[in-house]
This record gives sequence, structure tokens and C-alpha cells, in this order.
Amino acid sequence: MTHVIPITVIRRERVLPVPGAVLVRVNERIQAADIVAEAEIEPKHYYLDVDRGLGISIKDAGRYITCQKGDRVETGDVLAGPAGVPRRTVRAPAAGRIVGINSGRILLESFGQVLQIKAGFPGKVISSDGAQAVTIEAIGTLIQGVWGNGLQNYGVMRLVGDGPSSRLQTDQLDVNLRGAVLVAGICDHPAPFHQATELSVRGVILGGMPSELIPVARRLPYPVLLTEGFGEHPINAAAFNLFVSNVGREVAVDAGCAWPQPGQRPEAIIPQPSSRQVSHPDRVISLKPGVRVRVLKPPYQGEVAVVKEILKRVETYPSGIRAKSATIEIDGVGTKTVPLANIEILQ
Amino acid sequence: MSSILDTDTILAVDVGSVSTRASLFDVVDGHFRLIASGRAPSTVKAPLSDISEGVRMALDQVKAVTGRKLLDETDLLIMPVTSRGSGVDTFVATASAGPKVRTVLVGLMPGVSTDSALRLAESTYLDLVGVIDLLDTRRESEKIDLILSARPDLILVVGGTDGGAQDSVLQLIELVAVASELFSPNQRPRIVYAGNRELGAAIADRMGERLDIALAPNVRPSLRVEDLGHARLALGEAIAEARNKRVHGFDELEQWSGGNMMLTADAYGRVIRYLSRIYDPAKGVLGVDVGATNTMIAAAFEGDLRLSVETDLGLGEPLPTLLRHSSLSNIARWLPSEIAERTILDYIYNKSINPATVPTEEDDLLLELALAREILRLSLKRARKRWPKGRDLKSSWLMPSVEPIIASGSVLARAPRPGYAALALLDALQPTGITTFVLDPHGLSPSLGAASGSVPMLTVHVLESGSFVSLGTVVSPVGNARMGRKVLSLHLELEQSSEDVVGEVRMGQLAVVPIRQGEHAHLTLRPERGIDVGFGGPGKAGALRIAGGAVGLIIDARGRPLVLAKDPGRRRELNKKWLFDIGAVV
Repeated sequence: MTHVIPITVIRRERVLPVPGAVLVRVNERIQAADIVAEAEIEPKHYYLDVDRGLGISIKDAGRYITCQKGDRVETGDVLAGPAGVPRRTVRAPAAGRIVGINSGRILLESFGQVLQIKAGFPGKVISSDGAQAVTIEAIGTLIQGVWGNGLQNYGVMRLVGDGPSSRLQTDQLDVNLRGAVLVAGICDHPAPFHQATELSVRGVILGGMPSELIPVARRLPYPVLLTEGFGEHPINAAAFNLFVSNVGREVAVDAGCAWPQPGQRPEAIIPQPSSRQVSHPDRVISLKPGVRVRVLKPPYQGEVAVVKEILKRVETYPSGIRAKSATIEIDGVGTKTVPLANIEILQ
Repeated sequence: MSSILDTDTILAVDVGSVSTRASLFDVVDGHFRLIASGRAPSTVKAPLSDISEGVRMALDQVKAVTGRKLLDETDLLIMPVTSRGSGVDTFVATASAGPKVRTVLVGLMPGVSTDSALRLAESTYLDLVGVIDLLDTRRESEKIDLILSARPDLILVVGGTDGGAQDSVLQLIELVAVASELFSPNQRPRIVYAGNRELGAAIADRMGERLDIALAPNVRPSLRVEDLGHARLALGEAIAEARNKRVHGFDELEQWSGGNMMLTADAYGRVIRYLSRIYDPAKGVLGVDVGATNTMIAAAFEGDLRLSVETDLGLGEPLPTLLRHSSLSNIARWLPSEIAERTILDYIYNKSINPATVPTEEDDLLLELALAREILRLSLKRARKRWPKGRDLKSSWLMPSVEPIIASGSVLARAPRPGYAALALLDALQPTGITTFVLDPHGLSPSLGAASGSVPMLTVHVLESGSFVSLGTVVSPVGNARMGRKVLSLHLELEQSSEDVVGEVRMGQLAVVPIRQGEHAHLTLRPERGIDVGFGGPGKAGALRIAGGAVGLIIDARGRPLVLAKDPGRRRELNKKWLFDIGAVV
């Protein structure tokens, strides 16, 4: 199921890969760029042999260790010794903390890189475990996609071109789009992506692009989000209408992050003011007549339709494949029969 | 209840990453038969992350076909069968769905215990993210960093024969313990120790309280003996535990199955091993399954099972990984029409996003079958490295003799005509000599394996029923001959018909003689000098009784190994011709 919802409650968990510190409080209102949690990742370790360093036997090593587990140390601090006439010592090879002392050995963990996780969209902190996970909630428009290049950003949304299948082209990209999140139908060449980099755009949302552009998209400094897939696929009508009606608003593009949660999909979130009661997205919707769906395979790929009937008989397709099927009503196309496996529910 | 069978009604559920299957077996005329099967999308991933919904949908389909009530008002399985005919007597479950289990392998000697552990890891659903052994020249601190950055769910420690090395193993385990303790308690990996058995107690004493450590019998009790079976059980438990932490609903199936839920791969391997004990001991039995997230190759030779689970090769999410090991031109070489490489690439990525979709256009169908060929070809190549020595032919690039070859996977099972599946198997596996292709269209093999412990007759009965589809007998002559030269002559006497088929097959030809399902025939083959059809050597003639199949008798004289035409146009023409010859297109 894909969510393309004009207004809903959006609740997302931001989780550090390792325990660290949560920097926001429950009930605090936060902005998209706010850092909600941080942790040191991939610190380097030093396993120091005290007996060898001091030239003593392993059973005597414990007596000479001067640090304790949990101590923070600076480069050059003495960790063991002095011992013997030469007054040998074991010193910290780097700044860090002592994380283990065992059998005459000291395990020093140097300070690693700091990983910071941003909120990604403006909202309210509704829960936190204080060390690793934060849950943020907002009311807004939710448009889920199918692929992202692994980055997040936030900016004012601008439409490029005049329809869901318009191509992103270099001559459309001028200084007026500087710092914006661009929405276009298709990008089939690296040049518009590079020009958008020069304009410091904050994101690009597309229906589709050729898969050969994946390496280019992965090197870009801004998020790229595809709503349909790879190839020349326009943005589906339901999503495009929502983008059009929100042009000029700020949009958070989450094209996947370095530490995605299981099942997390790339998505665009457009925060909305709302005073009325707004419901959460459904987790399960049964496929039945009247349900809105999106077609996942040609010849109607990307079309939004309504299920008319779930067929009892198995249908045969041009490939010869026989599959359980449904008839669907595609706006402007008419009634078509498609395999159940080739449609997904669109809420 | 039947007088000869302890149980009548068996319900089997297999939870895959894309589909959940439910199969109901019952006794008909004293034999188990597949009565109904249901298939629903698996609900293993977010937003549900709970397999129960998919299981219930699959059970609903079984109920819709049979009218048999399987669940009570509280959604619990009715067991045993009630006087009103609701419920089942036996329930078995298998699962391959769930996140991959990130694993670091720590071993002593490359080529000995480490190799055994690698074979073990490659026979189940593990994602190997790091290997450390005694000859590793990295410093201890670097090895600790490796374990930390790998963030494993599981650390598999092996090393030392029973009664052999102790100090080196203890040093390794100490290193693992130091690294593991640096993880926060809720992220600490499970450690499975399957090394020198004499150290088990000491390791448990030293580390049992600090770490989650499981002891398993040594994978290499002596230099010449390898025992992966027991350690596989311990790994199975670790995989199930890691899976249950992240996905709900498995505990319910575990409960319904009386704590005997199995990994799909283990159950699949069990069936193939069982069959290898029934069929011709001179040959092995081969099972191939092309799944959405992994591909299984199970080969068994007189009960010696060699199971490979290729977790990076599948027709779903991992599909783009195929391009790391193969190329677009390698995929395109199996196509009968020209499809731009750019289109193939897009198809691969879109299929990885939506793995459950089915090809409605002919080009898409042929492309999926081409992808399946490459996946099978690569999987088999890797798997054969683990097959016992002496089973290979002199020419190592040729497939050893196996019979039957049992194939499963949606891409083969849903092919609109059996010829599509048969040609894909011929191209990818390139069997030699005489074999039989059997299709498991309902994906029943894992369920049969899981049930074989409690209901041993189920496998035999279901295999004899029509639930498995024989595609036909395949004869693949081996030997050098010029294109167009006669390689063999054949004489086929159909038991149910007075008309014999007499003919000859030439090099490069793919010949098919239709023999209907259920019919039998006597086949006499007289190969030319230098041509081996599996009757004990080149030029040796022989006769055998063969059964019919959905395709019939297939004689693949295209050469072993199969060398495709270099000219793309000629190659496509031949692919088209072979599809026609085998009856895939009419």
C-alpha cells in the first residue's frame, strides 16, 4: 500500500544506529533541520598489552594499571606504570575512554565521528527513549515514493514544467529556483541534475528516471525522490494533484537516510496547519470494489484507478500468463482488466 | 481417521518474503493428496511487520475452496479435526521471510574450520558481513573494530578439532567477547560456538553469564570429518530469534506447529535428501528454487545433502545485485527478440521495487525467464563448488549426472506453457546424460520436508500424485561433433500405442517427442562414436523405460557446454527456434 493523502497524521521514528543522546524533549516543537539525536559512531579501539608494555609478567600487570573502566583520557596520559628501573609506562595513544580492563589488557575507545540525525520535517516530539530513538508527529500531506537517493532536505516546493510527464531540462532551471525543492515528471539526462546542484536546490521529486542515472543521483548533494520507478514514468495523478495544490509551501523530502528503519519508504511530507480532527493513515485496507489503486506495470503503469470488481475467474494476458485479476476504472482511459499482483492500494 | 495413517488432514504454511502459501492435504483412497492451496501476499514488511495477516488471507483461500473451517472464533487453529469436520490433525510451518541475519564468522584455519563454517553459512539465510581467522594479519583492535562496524546479529565461532587446538580458540573467543560487550545490551549479538567440543564447558563458564552464547557440536570434529547438521540447527534457532525480534506472528505459527517450525531451506533440503535415498544411487538428486529474495540449490547424493542458499540472488529485491556477477549482455543473450539494455536495466530495478508483479506482455515474460536463467546459472556455479568430489565429470564445466531435477519458483511455475520452464532449465542447468525435469508448481517441497518428520508417507504420496508436474525425460548427449552431424538415433515404443517413433538427432538440434502425462514408453538410444548419452561411456547404446510429461521426451543436442552464437541476430533467431521446438510458442 502506498499513501498519497491530502491530510493525515504523520508519525515517524528517528533512530540512531547505536545508543547516544537524544537532544529534544517530549512535547517540544521542532523544525525540519533540528538535530534530534546524536551518537559517536565507529570509534577506533586500542587493545593495550600492559605486561608487554611494561616488560613485566601478566600476573603483575593488574598492580600497575592506573586507570579505571569509564575514565576519559587524553593522548599521552599514563594508563599503567611506571614499572621497573627504566620506569616504563603505557600511555594512551589517543584521546578517548577506557571501556575495558581484563587480564592485564586495557581497551581504549577513541572518540569516533559524531552522527547527527535531523528531524526531517517540522513537528512535535511525542516520545523518546532518551538515548537512541525519537518519535516525531506532524499533520500534513503525505506522498510516498518508491526510490530515493538516501538524502533528506526541506525547502519551498516549485513545479517545473506543465504536467506530470514534463521533462526536467536545463533551460527550465534558473536563479528563481535557487534553494527550492523541484517537482517534475521525468529526468532523462544528468545535465539537469548538475545544473540543479549549481542552483543549490534542496531536492528533486520526479515520477521516473532511467535507472542508468542511479549512480549520478547517488552523488548529488540533495535528495532525489521517485514516485513511480525507473523509466519514463510520469508522476501519478493523485500525487501530482497534491503537489500542484501545494506549490509554494515547504516540503520535506525524505529520500531515505543512512540508517533507514525497516520498511521505511522514501516520501514527501508537506506540513499543513489543521485545527480539525485528522486521522492516521490506515495500516491495512482490503482490496475490494471502490478502493483506489495504482497500476504497477505497463501498459497502464502509474495510472490511478478505482476497483470495479474482483474477478472470480482467472484471466489470460498477452504473455500467456494466467492471473487472478480485477477490473479497474482508469480516469480518461476506461475499464481495464489487470492482474491483482500488478496493482497496489493507494490511500 | 484412516486405518493405515496416523493422521488424515495436514495443513502446511510457508511464509516467503513475497507470498504466503497454505496447502491442505487429506487422505483420498488411502493416499495423501493436495486438496487445496491458497496464496496471499506476505505481510512481513512494514507497515504491518506481522505475518499473521498474510497467513490468514492464505487460509481464507483454502477455506473458500474446501469449505473447511480452519480457525475458530478467536482466530486460533482448530486442531485436531472436530466431529463436524473443522480443523486439521497436523500443522507444519516453514518460513524464509524476514530480515537477513547479519553474521560475522570467526574461525581458526582457512581451508579447514573456516571453510566448513562458510559452507554452513552459505546453506542458510545469513548475510555474511565479516570473516576473521587465525591467519588474519589485522591487529586485535582492528578486528574488534570490524565486529563493531559490522553490527552483527550473530557471531559464528568455529575452530579446532575435538581434542585439538585450545589456546588459539580461546584467544578468538576472548576477542569476540570483548567486542560483543561493547554493544549496548539490546544490540548484543548472539554467539554460536561450534568449535573444539572440549572447550564448550569452559567457554560457557567464562562467558555464559555475560553474553548470549549457544554451544553446538563442532563443525569439524576432525580434519577429515565435517558435521554441519547440528550447527545448522543452532543457527536455525538464532535466525528464528533474530527474525522474531523484528517481525510479529512467527511465535503463533511456532505454537501451532508444536515448536517445530522450520526454515524453508532446511525443510527443502530434507526433501531432496530423502529423494536421493529413493532414486538411482549412482546419480544425485537436484532441487532448484528461484525465489524472490534468494535462490536455493539442493543437491543430494545417497543422502549426502549439499544445500546452498544464495541470499544475494533472487527475482525480487536483490535483483540489481545480479549485475555485480553478470552483465546486461549475458542476460540479453537468452532473449529471442531485441530489447534495449536500458530497458532491461529499468526492468531489473522496477522488479526489485515491486517483486510480486507478473509479466503481462510477452517481452516481459521472456525477460523474466532470461533473468531466471542467469540467476540459476550463477547459483549452480557457486553451489557446485560445495558438491562432493568425484561427483563431477572429468570436464569440470559439465553438470554431473543427476535425476530427477525438481524445479520451483513462481517464474517457472506460472510460465504459460511448460516449454518455457523446460527451456529455461535446459539453458541454465545444462544437464548431461539422461534426467527428468519435475516442476513443483505449488511450491510444496518445503512443506513436505517439514511434514516428513511427523507424516513420513506424505512426501511419497504427494510426489506420486499430480501435484508435481513432470515436464518430461531429458537426454543431453555429451561429446564433440560438427554442427549438423548425426549424434544419435532413437527408437521409441509407446506402451499405449502401436506406432513407434524412429529417428535421428543431429548436433545443434533440440528435438521433442510428445509423450502425454501418464503414458510410458521404451526408449532405445544409439549414440555415435564419441558421443555419451549416459549409458556408461561414449558410443554406448542402451534402453530405458521413460514416463511422459507436459513436454515429453526432450533431446537437447545443442552441445555441452552450450555455446551460443556470437552474432546477436543469429542468436536471437536460434532462441526463437528453440522456443518453438520445445513447444513454448506455437
